[in-house]
Formats: sequence, C-alpha cells, structure tokens
Amino acid sequence: MRRRSSQLSIALVALILGVLLVVQLRSQNPGGGLEGLSAQELTDVVGNLNTRNEQLRTERAQLQAEVQQLAEAEARGENSVGQLQSDLLRIQAWSGLLAVSGPGVRLTVTGPIPGLAVEDLLNELRNAGAEAVSVGGIRVVAGTVVAGSGGAVSVEGTPLGGTFEIAAIGNPPSLTGSLTRAGGMMAQLRATLPEVELVVTPVDRLALPATTRTLTPAHGAPRL
Amino acid sequence: MTSIGARFRTIPTWQLTLGIALLALGFLIAAQLQSEGPRVTYTSQERAPLVATAQGLQAQQDALKAEIVSLRSQIATIEQQGKGSADQVRQLNDQLAAARVAAGLIALHGPGLVLQLQDSTNPVPPGDNATDYVVSAKDVRTAVELLWLAGAEAIAVNGERVTASTAILDIGGSLLVNSAYQSQPYQVSAIGPADLYARLTAEPAFQQFLRDRGERFGIRIAFAQPPDVVVPAYAGTINLRNARAVPSGSPTTP
Repeated sequence: MRRRSSQLSIALVALILGVLLVVQLRSQNPGGGLEGLSAQELTDVVGNLNTRNEQLRTERAQLQAEVQQLAEAEARGENSVGQLQSDLLRIQAWSGLLAVSGPGVRLTVTGPIPGLAVEDLLNELRNAGAEAVSVGGIRVVAGTVVAGSGGAVSVEGTPLGGTFEIAAIGNPPSLTGSLTRAGGMMAQLRATLPEVELVVTPVDRLALPATTRTLTPAHGAPRL
Repeated sequence: MTSIGARFRTIPTWQLTLGIALLALGFLIAAQLQSEGPRVTYTSQERAPLVATAQGLQAQQDALKAEIVSLRSQIATIEQQGKGSADQVRQLNDQLAAARVAAGLIALHGPGLVLQLQDSTNPVPPGDNATDYVVSAKDVRTAVELLWLAGAEAIAVNGERVTASTAILDIGGSLLVNSAYQSQPYQVSAIGPADLYARLTAEPAFQQFLRDRGERFGIRIAFAQPPDVVVPAYAGTINLRNARAVPSGSPTTP
C-alpha cells in the first residue's frame, strides 16, 4: 500500500519534470514566430487577422443560419431543393465551375511580360478581394498557371500573345487601389519591366467564363 | 506533502529518488524562469501587446476555421440525409458533393509529395541583400505554380489549402497564406500522379529554381514522398459579394 502511493508520487514528480523539460526546450527554441517581427509588421499582421476573422465570422453566421434552415425544413418534412440549389451555385461560381458576372477591373497588358510577373498581378488581385479572375478570356482556378518567359506566356496551353487582358470581378475601387498604390505591384513591374505597359480600367459589368479544367481529383480521394 | 514526507523516513531509497527528482525539478524551474527573463526584455514595450494581440487573433482564427469546417460537414450531412426520395434532391446532393470536392472544401489524401523550403543558413556576404537568403512569398508561389504545372491536383502550404482565391504574401520574413500567419519551414504538400516528383524535377523551370534559390543563396529545398499525402479542406470564406453565378445554359452577354 505504501509502496504504491509513493510510486504514485514519484510518477507525479516525473510527470511534472517531463512537462517542465518540454516547456524549457520549447522556450529555448522559440522558432521563427511572431517575436521576430517589427512593430510595423506586427501591426500589419494584426490588421490582416482582424479583417480575416471578421470575414470568417460572417461565413460562420451564414453557415449557422443555413444549418438552422435545413433543420427546420427537415422538421416540417419539406425537401431542401432551394437551399441545395443556392449552395450549389455559390460553390460552383466560387470555384470556377460556373460562369460569373459582376463589376470589377480590366487590366490590359502589352509587351513581353514573363509568366511569373502575371502571377504576381493575380496574387495581388486575390489579396485585394478579387472573387473571380480570367486571363486572356480563360478562367483562373486552382491549378491554373500563367507560365513562360517574357513574350511567350501561355495559360492552359493557350498562348496569350503580345497584348492580353486580365479581368477580375470584385469591388472596383479596392481592386484598382490595390494595383495602383505607390510601391504596389504595378509600380514594381513598371520599374523592373519598363517595356511592359499596364492599363487598369474599372468596369461595371464583366462576364467571366467557367473553367474548362476538370477540377475533380483523379489521384486524391476525399478524406472524410 | 506532510504525509509523503512522513513516508520518506521509513523508506530512505524513495527519499533519495524523490530528492534527486525534486532537485532536477528545481533546476528546471530556475532555468525556465531565467529563460523567460531575456525574452520579455527583448520584446520592446510597444511590441509585446501586439504579439499578444496577434496570437490571440490567430487563436480565434484557428477556432473559427475549425467551426466553419465542422458547420460545412454538418450541412453536407443534413443535406445527404434530407428527404432524398425525390430524384431532384438526390441529383442535387450528388452535384453538391462533387462541387465541394472540386472547390477544395473537402480534405483529400493520396499519392504525391511534400516540398519543404527553409531560409538559407549561409552567411550573407557584404553587399548582398539579406532578403535573398530568406524564403519569400514568391518562392512559395513559384513552388506551388511548378507543382501545378507538374500535374498536382491539390496543394496546401503549411496546411492552408491553395484555392482560386488564395493569396500568398510576405510579412517581414514570414508569410501570410489565406491571411493566416505562417513561419518556416514552409511545407508545400501536393497530391498528384505517382510520378509527380519525376515530372517536377524534369521541369527546366524547377531546375532553374533550384539553381537560382538553392545553389545561389542556399535556400534549403527538401522533398519527402510519404505514402499518403494529406491536403486539408479550405476553411476560409467563399466570398461572392460582387460576382453572380451565371447558371450554365443561360445566355452570357459580355
């Protein structure tokens, strides 16, 4: 009896010791975390997280409302065709499986721009809240890459030629502002690629086609 | 404590064992307290609350994402169980399930590879730009683009699914992926054909990436080919405030 309880206490001490050891090792190696950032960078991170969390709360509220509607419909014995249809449209439009229309910007690119620079512009547009993007009339979805060296860029195997358009649906002032701000992506590209001409135009209504890619995975399987 | 102490006297070997353990414990506590010290002073007064705020917000974000993923699967379950007798409902459910997989709202697993990028440990020669020795958003984007071109069908960066709306940005030597803060090592997980690795390494653009970033600046680029690569579901917003779906079959006027 005595032996057992003291074994227990030794085990307890060993446990505390182990925990402390881990904490100690972790604190010795803080890793490349937030501690390494400057005050300005931290302010950016905080601003970004705030915006993002607000969007996520909106999404959560929307999903919670949907769960409730579905549950109520089920309780009334109704089918949920309306809900299913609107869900389907939203997911298909967002992923590029459906054509979409809406306001946005048109960015005309002329000159020998490399694929990586076009990708920089697309990244900037996504960051500015673009909801759908096309390049040379081809919808950009997960897996779409604009590739090639300056003057020979192509997307989905289609050459883009010397002049092409990037169309992005989203809030036109946000998209324009993000592209044209001082030190922004357009200013950077003008400095590094002076022979490339970039013109942004806000547009009231753009129509973007659906992707021609198959987004259904052929190698991966859903992990439920 | 007193009851344990009383037992010590009866069996001295335990006393010894416990004594040693407690001594080690004391050392560890002391070491811990000491290592806390410099970190607190290192974090300047204006930065400390910012770090705490950012950590708090990041924790909130992680919780929100987990909730969103769980709500989405809840919705999918309710929809699947719904009064599925009608052909229309059954058909819609099938379409929805397929659309969710295609959109990246469902985690996938399968063959593929994990590409890991880490900052250079090379000393920065005088006159060189120190940022060239750090993994940039552009490096990670390049890795993602090359993997797509090599045939990847699903990609995540440190667990953040790369979707049609994903932006990867620099933030002071670290990255924001889907607006989530990520620090190195950056692991780009890709699911694709069994020969994804061979296809990637055969790409001239990838060989150039290895030369430009690996050889030139010492960016550490490593591979792993686990038997089963997991790419998590996208946990962010499906933000369509300006875009309206144009159902297929309806006329499109530019």
